[in-house]
Amino acid sequence: MSDYISRADLLSWLEKVSQSRDLVAPVKIEDLTLFQKVERVEDIVFDPGNTDLSPKEFFFPKSEVLFYVDRSDGRVELVPAEVEQETVIFGIRPCDAKGIAVLDLPYLEEPADALYRQHREKTTLVGLSCVSACPECFCTSMGTTPDDASNVDIMLTEVEEGFIVQVVTEKGKALLPEGLLSSKEVSPPAAPSVASVPSEGIAEKMHQVFDSPYWDRLADRCLHCNVCSYVCPTCYCFDVRDLRSGGRVERVRSWESCQSPGFTKIAGGYDPRAAKGPRLRQRFAHKLLYFVEKFGVTHCVGCGRCVRSCPVNIDIREVIQDVQGLGVKSEA
Amino acid sequence: MKRDNPLLPYLATLDEVVDLTPDVKLFRIELNDPEVRESFDYQPGQFVFVSAFGTGESPFGLTSVGYRKGPLEVAVRRVGTVTGSLHDLEPGAIVGVRGPFGNHFPLDEFKGKDLFIIGGGIGFAPLRPVITSILDHREDYGELTILNGARTPSDLVFAPEFDSWAAAPRTKLELTVDAGDESWTGRVALIPRVVAELGFSPENAIAVICGPPIMIHFTLIELKKLGFADSQIVTTLEGKMKCGLGKCARCNVGEKYICRDGPVFTMEQISQLIEQF
Ligand SMILES: Cc1cc2nc3c(=O)[nH]c(=O)nc-3n(C[C@H](O)[C@H](O)[C@H](O)COP(=O)(O)OP(=O)(O)OC[C@H]3O[C@@H](n4cnc5c(N)ncnc54)[C@H](O)[C@@H]3O)c2cc1C
Ligand code: SF4
Ligand code: SF4
Ligand code: FES
Repeated sequence: MSDYISRADLLSWLEKVSQSRDLVAPVKIEDLTLFQKVERVEDIVFDPGNTDLSPKEFFFPKSEVLFYVDRSDGRVELVPAEVEQETVIFGIRPCDAKGIAVLDLPYLEEPADALYRQHREKTTLVGLSCVSACPECFCTSMGTTPDDASNVDIMLTEVEEGFIVQVVTEKGKALLPEGLLSSKEVSPPAAPSVASVPSEGIAEKMHQVFDSPYWDRLADRCLHCNVCSYVCPTCYCFDVRDLRSGGRVERVRSWESCQSPGFTKIAGGYDPRAAKGPRLRQRFAHKLLYFVEKFGVTHCVGCGRCVRSCPVNIDIREVIQDVQGLGVKSEA
Repeated sequence: MKRDNPLLPYLATLDEVVDLTPDVKLFRIELNDPEVRESFDYQPGQFVFVSAFGTGESPFGLTSVGYRKGPLEVAVRRVGTVTGSLHDLEPGAIVGVRGPFGNHFPLDEFKGKDLFIIGGGIGFAPLRPVITSILDHREDYGELTILNGARTPSDLVFAPEFDSWAAAPRTKLELTVDAGDESWTGRVALIPRVVAELGFSPENAIAVICGPPIMIHFTLIELKKLGFADSQIVTTLEGKMKCGLGKCARCNVGEKYICRDGPVFTMEQISQLIEQF
């Protein structure tokens, strides 16, 4: 027996949820599917396949005010931003949920990032298992699976006319009213098979091929457009600036990418990563080597977004494959 | 020091601004909250972010010493927007301070050893608290040689302290410039050349170098010729920094974060980094 909810009951529950909280879910916007605050639950996209942008922006927004400077009464006071709004993210896929668990590692490590932690505390994740795999994804090679419920609060798996419900955390339990779920004799569909990449031992291989000319060759066609970082659920570099808005000074943090020229340029003009090769290598070394050394997991969850979005087809699956090969060839 | 929001600066007041050179000013900064002031402790080599609200914040090495409990001091060279805004501030202005961040110079390991402190330009700034600490506890350390170099005589930082440094027991002060002027009677030579000429002995000694990457590069070559091992050479790495907390990933070099694992490294540690900056 499984806990079960019909599609109609699910939608009316979500409707109720949206009355007291921000309900965020995949919706169609022109030809993109994006996580957005939902106005009408009928707009929610349940189709297989992942959103064009990951839901990381609900924890680490593209651009976010950290504090503003209050200069009233001739005094100076800093007023920090606070996250007040309770949010429910519905329809998050296992790879993106894992992506948030990966973001937790640097951001919640002491001293924890205050705003990230507040977003995290105020947000409940309702996941949706993947019953079919996207062509570009490779999650099973990167530490998660299409039905991995370990990084959400509630997990749903689509079956005939409705969904099997797994209540994973207390936070998830608190969101479900008594009597909403029924018991039903259904078993979940078999998890789809996902393309695999040879990720085994990749950190060690990255170490060995760090100085290979491979990186310069690969980077030659990179446009440093930064798209790979912006679509990625785990990329977390940021920039901080002061902006004037409505007559007051705000300190704003925004997404940055290691692919930007000048990302590492210091006073005096010296830039240790001025060339494209070392810059692109930084992306892969951070994901497949440094993060693994520091936190024990890869900094890639295999969502496939960068594969789909890179205008010049720089493909992390191929990079992993190539690196594994380079390690054994003397040509490296 | 623990804070709820490590990206939120402490408010502080510019007590005093001193012109050190035509483009470097020393800022004496008093933290506004007495409790914060009392608990704000730091070691030579650590740094803070200073905010000029409306322009932004930048990292600067602390040039004062924590144990003296006075105002925080940073020496700032005007190079761009934030440093420009700080230079435009008058005493009394409200600024922000975050920190202290980073590791520090291993003064405990310097004890009983001869020390060569070599700084070029504004790179000399983080060395000043090392010198102050040594001179305040002079008997703990061996011979001290200070080499301060700059482009021109007026660019030498901390000139008001030169006399007291030179007069300290078992201490030598060497000054050098790339180009002299009418009144300059001292050395005119690049720092690496002076290091070769002075011929420091590596025996029971430590060399500490800070300065522009190019000066560090050539000074290292000379120190190695003199027989210094990588473990006897201490330096600092600079990186672009936006947080000081190991979060923005801007200062990531190899598996290290300069803001947390550094900025102070021995050459031995640097040579083991997978990526060379
Ligand atoms: C640990 C550390 C200690 C430092 N200590 C001192 C010091 O004691 N005295 C001193 O004068 N300077 C010091 N610096 C350098 C100082 O932080 C930069 O000069 C300053 O950030 C430039 O800011 P700006 O807005 O004026 O420059 P910008 O107008 O932003 O740019 C001018 C140049 O500075 C570079 N730059 C911009 N932001 C940073 C940043 N956050 N870190 C490094 N470079 C940057 C730019 O790439 C550009 O080349 C230190 C830097 C670090 C990392
Ligand atoms: S998306 Fe492709 S072209 Fe753009 S920065 Fe990333 S690797 Fe380079
Ligand atoms: S690196 Fe690419 S495949 Fe991996 S998590 Fe980021 S966007 Fe997805
Ligand atoms: S300054 Fe942000 S990680 Fe080092």
